[in-house]
Amino acid sequence: MENKIEIKLENVHKSYYLANKEEVPVLNGIDLEIKRGEFVAIMGESGGGKTTLLNIIGCLHPLSRGMYYLTGENIGNVRDDFTLAFIRNKKMGFIFQQFNLFTRLSALKNVALPALYAGKEKEERERKAKKLLEDIGLGDRLYHRPTELSGGQQQRVAICRALINDPDIILADEPTGALDSKSGLEVMDIFTGFKKQERTVIMVTHTAEVAKYADRIIYLRDGKVISDNYQLHSNY
Amino acid sequence: MLIEIIKMAFESLLAKKIRSILSMLGIIIGVSTVIAVFAIGQGAQQAVNAQFEGLSAKTIMVMSMRGRGSTSSTKLAVGDAKILKDKGQHIELATGAIQGNASVSYGSTSASLSVIGSDLDYYKISNLELSAGRLITEDELSNNDKVAILGNGATETLFPEGQNPLGAVVTIAGKKVEIVGVFKEVGSSMGPMRVDDSVFMPYTTAQKTILGNGGSVMLNIQADSVDNVELATEELTNILREEHKLKESQENDFRVMDAGSMVGAAQESAQLMSILLTLIAAITLLVSGIGIMNVMFVTVAERTKEIGIAKAIGGKQGDILSQFLLESVILSTVGGIIGIIIGQAAIPIISSFNLMTLASSVTGPLLGFSFSVLVGVFFGFYPAFKASRLDPVDALRSE
Repeated sequence: MENKIEIKLENVHKSYYLANKEEVPVLNGIDLEIKRGEFVAIMGESGGGKTTLLNIIGCLHPLSRGMYYLTGENIGNVRDDFTLAFIRNKKMGFIFQQFNLFTRLSALKNVALPALYAGKEKEERERKAKKLLEDIGLGDRLYHRPTELSGGQQQRVAICRALINDPDIILADEPTGALDSKSGLEVMDIFTGFKKQERTVIMVTHTAEVAKYADRIIYLRDGKVISDNYQLHSNY
Repeated sequence: MLIEIIKMAFESLLAKKIRSILSMLGIIIGVSTVIAVFAIGQGAQQAVNAQFEGLSAKTIMVMSMRGRGSTSSTKLAVGDAKILKDKGQHIELATGAIQGNASVSYGSTSASLSVIGSDLDYYKISNLELSAGRLITEDELSNNDKVAILGNGATETLFPEGQNPLGAVVTIAGKKVEIVGVFKEVGSSMGPMRVDDSVFMPYTTAQKTILGNGGSVMLNIQADSVDNVELATEELTNILREEHKLKESQENDFRVMDAGSMVGAAQESAQLMSILLTLIAAITLLVSGIGIMNVMFVTVAERTKEIGIAKAIGGKQGDILSQFLLESVILSTVGGIIGIIIGQAAIPIISSFNLMTLASSVTGPLLGFSFSVLVGVFFGFYPAFKASRLDPVDALRSE
């Protein structure tokens, strides 16, 4: 497998500021390289900075200090909404613990929404959304609303939504956290399948059971990487 | 893309039906007020025009001044008309009338009607035509004869069962008066006098026997040309002051108005009413706009999480701004359209009460519609802007 570096973080810091202007450091100098097609699990205690790191990689947060190279380009200083929205829309696909689907929209419309933001024509985006839903086994649920679907089904709709613009990177925050174990396994099956499509997957989880599907497990504590190991089954 | 966003905006508005309807209510009331304002304004204008239709631009009115900062008694009399006609060089025609109200009865029917005592030229100048009987004669005028001609409406009032009024003897202010003629319907009014509901008598009789000091005198003078109205006005003022033996220091004991300034004054008051009503409509629209802004803020707050999701999956600030802006514009525009429909429907209903004249106009609905769109854009912008600038992570975290 080609070992092209997809994401590179150098000495990344992130702090929050409380109402009284007190600084709360969350990430304290993260150095990280993630190659194209890797499946990375980020683990660690609550408050260790897992989700913040994911949000920084996903361009939802600006960094306080450091460098963020995305396919070789430093985007750590980019603050322009148009560019950031473009990256989130085309390069990344987000998957959340609570699915975060739009309750008023059908499964099909939910999946097609990022393609709408990308400016795709209705015919194209709905055809693509339908194909994704059919492939994932929800061909008979196209016009159901999220409230009419089970948790596992909703997460699969959310996965389709993440894939509609064919992103290189999938970012998942506790994707199995709200699911029963069977649905959780299904989701992990889909995630391991991303490898064949050469998609990079970065997943935050606190469950070892789930993390073992990844090629590589990174532990964070107090905003620092305390261990970073490839698993035996990985090809790296 | 836009169609899809409009569809989504409609869907989210429909999801909160009662709230949407309530926030539209202000706009509905505001826009229907705008429609009504224009209808009333237009109607008032038309009423003014109709009222003065019978007046040519050459017309100058002279009216008695009753207790208005001047000596309480006025010497203005119907007879002054003849003097003006004889002495004035720029006066082509002059007629006079004394007008007052008197109780008029026939058999068991009785009514308070306007009594107009006039000279004979008055009928000509007022375009009054007989439908039955005859006019008052020169002899009857000089003899103070108790004869009268009825206006069309007065005839209907006094003879409700269609009896023949000719030759009938009616009682006016306790005096027995014979009806000799009936005028055709005129429709409009002659200055302040309602012609159709009036009883016409020789001015001599009206002044001495019926009205006494209770009548107000009005002279109707025609200048010899439109350009000479000012000259004629000056002339008649001088003649009347001389006739009434007014000293230098004394003010006129009569009022002079030419048709132009009378129409102007009436139009001015119609305009003033329009301005006041427009102000009310503007305030209503402002308040409704604030209402919409309020609702949009609540909506944005409720959908903070949605905004976070939209941003995470690649929604740009512009996408979110247009989403919320469209919702407020749809609210206000739909409200505006309903307002136009209600306003237009109300025009014939209000008109049917006969309290005022309303005329529908194109300007009203057009203005109402554009205002409602504007209100939506103006008051929707700030909440939509706030929504588009939310921090995606904070928004995602909210529940």
